[in-house]
Amino acid sequence: MSSLACPFCGPRELDEFLFHKTLPEAQGDEYAVYERANRIDDSLEHWQHVRGCRAWLRVRRNPSTGEVREVQLLGRGHS
Amino acid sequence: MNGAQRYSAWALLRARLAGPGYWRSLWSGATLKDAYDVVVVGAGGHGLATAYHLAHDHGIKRVAVLEKHLVGYGNVGRNTTIVRSNYLLPENHYFYEDSLRRWERLSRVLNYNVMYSPRGVLDLAQSDGDMIGLARRGNAMRLAGIDAELLDRGGVLEFAPELAVSGPRRFELVGGLLQRRGGTVRHDAVAWGYARAASALGVDIIEDCEVTGIRTAGGLATGVESTRGYVKAERIVFAVAGHTGTVGGMLGLTLPIETHLLQAMVTEPIKPLVGSVHVYAHPHGEAYVTQSDRGGVVMGGFLDGFPSYTREGQWYRLEDVVQTAVALLPHLAGLRILRHWAGTNDMTMDGSFIIDRIRHDNVFLNGGWCYGGFKAIPASGAACATFVATGTAPDLIRAHGLSRFKTGHLLDERGAGPFPSRQ
Repeated sequence: MSSLACPFCGPRELDEFLFHKTLPEAQGDEYAVYERANRIDDSLEHWQHVRGCRAWLRVRRNPSTGEVREVQLLGRGHS
Repeated sequence: MNGAQRYSAWALLRARLAGPGYWRSLWSGATLKDAYDVVVVGAGGHGLATAYHLAHDHGIKRVAVLEKHLVGYGNVGRNTTIVRSNYLLPENHYFYEDSLRRWERLSRVLNYNVMYSPRGVLDLAQSDGDMIGLARRGNAMRLAGIDAELLDRGGVLEFAPELAVSGPRRFELVGGLLQRRGGTVRHDAVAWGYARAASALGVDIIEDCEVTGIRTAGGLATGVESTRGYVKAERIVFAVAGHTGTVGGMLGLTLPIETHLLQAMVTEPIKPLVGSVHVYAHPHGEAYVTQSDRGGVVMGGFLDGFPSYTREGQWYRLEDVVQTAVALLPHLAGLRILRHWAGTNDMTMDGSFIIDRIRHDNVFLNGGWCYGGFKAIPASGAACATFVATGTAPDLIRAHGLSRFKTGHLLDERGAGPFPSRQ
């Protein structure tokens, strides 16, 4: 994995993006602030295209292979 | 001693007289039994040290260490071999100081040369702000009776003359914090030494045996499922740092851990240049630089920055570690990199490790080591073994339970917030 496809800018080098966090599986629990799903083959994450258009993205990846499964815009009408 | 040969000058003489074939393998090829008092999952530094202390300190003889690959295949053989105890928070510096004291004695304790080299760990400051941070950390250490010296620029250059460069630096060195007892240890020797010592005490070390699940009955774990079949166990210890996420999956838990990559690299060998461990950080990068006994300059830096189990480092991180190292020591610029690798790190939400019961009363987790795993091995093994054997966490690790993420008593050395990638 060396690039991400930004919905606005197209495929860009990975160092243009900033990883923010992986999403916990269980929502709603106060403990979930500190929990991370951390699955070996599937990860749902928030990223931001900080050195590009600054869009916030929701990315689904396989952290064992680096395969990017889905990149979506985060925000109203998207998440 | 169950087949282990004691190493000494006499043994060398005997081996010389006996001729080839005198030295036996470091640990014996054990066969997996049906049941154990304790099954330790993972034959890395922490798993082997825990098994050794269970057998040595607590007399628990029926102990098995199950390893997916080979002894020392994981992070114990992938780190930059640095040992130190220069932490700010008491919960951390007392623990790592216990570890450093054990490193000082470890070669004798294990009767195996782990090549502890107290060459000094020098954290460098490039601004007055950096100096204030280092002074604060150094003072916290000194209050705990741990050696720390705050050096001004002259002191730094006297201790590490290789840092004196003739040209101007973009960011001048202002000073540094030196821990003289810090240094390096030969990482593979740690795995081998503990494996040998544990095996000699009757611990079964089973390689090529992946644990795939646990069986439970009445709220307690009864054993582990493995690729070599079911093994009954009174107690189970998971010491699989880097892959602790998979343990969470196995037990149906979400843990406060993300798995990240940390890279390291080593140059071609050169004559002695880097006399101690230099840690050089600025907002855009970090490099810790040391020179191995073979002469290679070993370097590491920040995490890659996003979760990964691939063990494939990103080019941009390699680039910035090398740039930072060259900014510190311009003499390195012409060297070629011989090897470069990445290891998976359990990064916790506060940057400190976790040793606690997990899900069941007889299942223990030793993980979340972030960057601090290698230097922690001797203390972690002893403390974890005491916890498993007695059922009570020793004072040294009482603050390192999972409950801190519920109560908010975080051990956040950096104060970076609940973001594993920023610890």
